[in-house]
Amino acid sequence: MTDTPKVRLRGLYKIFGPNHKDMMQHVRAGMGKPELLEQHKHVLGLQDINVDMMAGEITVVMGLSGSGKSTLIRHLNRLIDPTAGEIIVDGVDVMGLSDDALRKMRQEKMSMVFQKFALLPHRSVLQNAAMALEVQGVDEKTRTAEGMKWLARVGLDGYEHHYPAQLSGGMQQRVGIARALTANTDIMLMDEAFSALDPLIRTDMQNLLLELQAELHKTIVFITHDLDEALKLADHLVILKDGAVIQQGEPQGILMNPSDPYIEDFVSDINRSRVLRVQSVMQPLKGTKFAGDVDIRANLESLIARSEGDTSLHYRVMDGDVAVGELHMRDLVKALVPRISSAA
Amino acid sequence: MAFYDGLFRVLGLENWCGAGASDAPLSMADLLAQSSGDGAASGPVFPFPSLDNLNESCGNFAQTRDLTKGLEDAFLGAKDSIKAVLDPITQPLSWLLDGALWMFAIIPWFIMIPILVAIAWWASRSIAVTVFVTFAILLLAFVDHYAVAMQTLSIIFVCTGISILLGVPTGIAMSKSDRLQKALVPVLDLLQTLPTFVYLIPLIFLFSVTESKLYGIAIILYAIVPVIRLTDLGIRLVDKDVIEAANAFGMSSNQRLAKVELPLALPNIMAGVNQTIMMSLAMVVIASLVSAPGLGVNVLRGIRNLELGVGIVAGIGIVLLAVILDRVSKAALSRVDMTHKTH
Repeated sequence: MTDTPKVRLRGLYKIFGPNHKDMMQHVRAGMGKPELLEQHKHVLGLQDINVDMMAGEITVVMGLSGSGKSTLIRHLNRLIDPTAGEIIVDGVDVMGLSDDALRKMRQEKMSMVFQKFALLPHRSVLQNAAMALEVQGVDEKTRTAEGMKWLARVGLDGYEHHYPAQLSGGMQQRVGIARALTANTDIMLMDEAFSALDPLIRTDMQNLLLELQAELHKTIVFITHDLDEALKLADHLVILKDGAVIQQGEPQGILMNPSDPYIEDFVSDINRSRVLRVQSVMQPLKGTKFAGDVDIRANLESLIARSEGDTSLHYRVMDGDVAVGELHMRDLVKALVPRISSAA
Repeated sequence: MAFYDGLFRVLGLENWCGAGASDAPLSMADLLAQSSGDGAASGPVFPFPSLDNLNESCGNFAQTRDLTKGLEDAFLGAKDSIKAVLDPITQPLSWLLDGALWMFAIIPWFIMIPILVAIAWWASRSIAVTVFVTFAILLLAFVDHYAVAMQTLSIIFVCTGISILLGVPTGIAMSKSDRLQKALVPVLDLLQTLPTFVYLIPLIFLFSVTESKLYGIAIILYAIVPVIRLTDLGIRLVDKDVIEAANAFGMSSNQRLAKVELPLALPNIMAGVNQTIMMSLAMVVIASLVSAPGLGVNVLRGIRNLELGVGIVAGIGIVLLAVILDRVSKAALSRVDMTHKTH
């Protein structure tokens, strides 16, 4: 059953404005965002979003500000209602839920981490962490035990009785993550969770998230505007522009074959040698003489270091004990140059 | 001859006017004008076409006096039905006020003063404020104003309590509904800008001056405004992100109100309560005009009988009481630090 998506978005549209339902016909007839704004004074927030989010994977939705990514994540737990389309979580259409059922789903299936932390300032760190359980009506003792456990897990033991305003931003977001983990939901929604933190702390938090994920295998939907962060975390990357998905797939694939000048611009600035892996540049196994074996998941940077810059070398690519292909250093160097179709 | 005679002649309305000759009683000004001879010559050259001036030329026009009389008659006509509804609803207010006045009077000073000092300490947790309160009450008692001060204080306690009890839920309802807010804001503006004496006019007609609810209603109507406004404001100012988080974790609207919105709005609500207390005090002095007991009665005596000293001592007593109430409630407000920014 691992191949049925945990969350499916089907033909999701969101139009902001007083007559948003009536605007659907124009959008379906092919009217774009600028025309809709100019002629009908309605804002097209999302158009025809189709995304499958697999259980146990991190799906990263990336786009610049105004691309609709925060709107998109708020559709999953219906903090925002769509104008048209389906949101299917565990096979159930969220749009069909009653208010009570929706509240129950928010309590038991999805937790959320916010960009500005959104902790309750009048509650202690422990009370904040245990908030989700309190809402569910769990007794105080279990609540405290669970809250303490997850606070310790995110590295905040000893801070239970502090208040959010007494903590630094990074620590506050750890409380936010502990709060989401204490809820013990399968799905975690993270809305630019690390964007408000300074770079060093952000890296720490990304590592913490990956570490937790290796252990917990949650279905995580992560929103970001930072490509490096997206590439670091994503199992599945969705790139959003003006409310539409312009490319989605495995991040290495997007990096090697950007489908759109917009994405090319995006990916041209990153450190490719650190992000790209052997897997993405290797060729079918043909030769017999190799300078050595490399792991399929090694990044290119490590290989450059190993070859000491010698571009004439060939390596055998191993996936575990099996040889799966070969790598020419020449291909590797070529792959480091971003493809810019507009530059010519 | 009145100024506008010519106008009605030109319009051919002379007969119509003549038919409706006025039978309105003469005003004092009319009588004076008659007795001093020619009234028309002494008037302005070109009088404004007001009701009274038009009436002089044409009896079919009502006088302004008829307008005020009509209003009065209409009010008196509706009085009985309004009273039938309002009387039973507001009766508990009379009981509460009378009960509080009786209780403050019956408790001897050597028990009452320590209780008040203890309340001041409990609310403010400040030695300076508590010492000040003690001295102020002792000073009032020393100049034999203890009883009247207690009367004023008991009325303020009751009226502030009821204002909070009614005002906070109203403020909550207002913060939840933009429509209700649009409807209520003009009413609140009216209540706050209406000169305090004007409140008393319809109330005097409705209730007997011997009933304590008469001044109770006046005080509550005047003092309830800030607590409503600031409750509404406080809840609307709660961080939208925090509200969103509460929703995202599946809180119901009641849970959200009790666990998030009210605690975070509390500093604003307390500021409203402070204002409400101060406005109750202001009104309880005015309300001595309609038999509210307390320090205001002495001020009134000072004005009416030109007893300057009595008025001044009572006035200083009111200032002392105001400072006590303000300091204690402000100190309580500053203790409400919901976010624990300092530790």
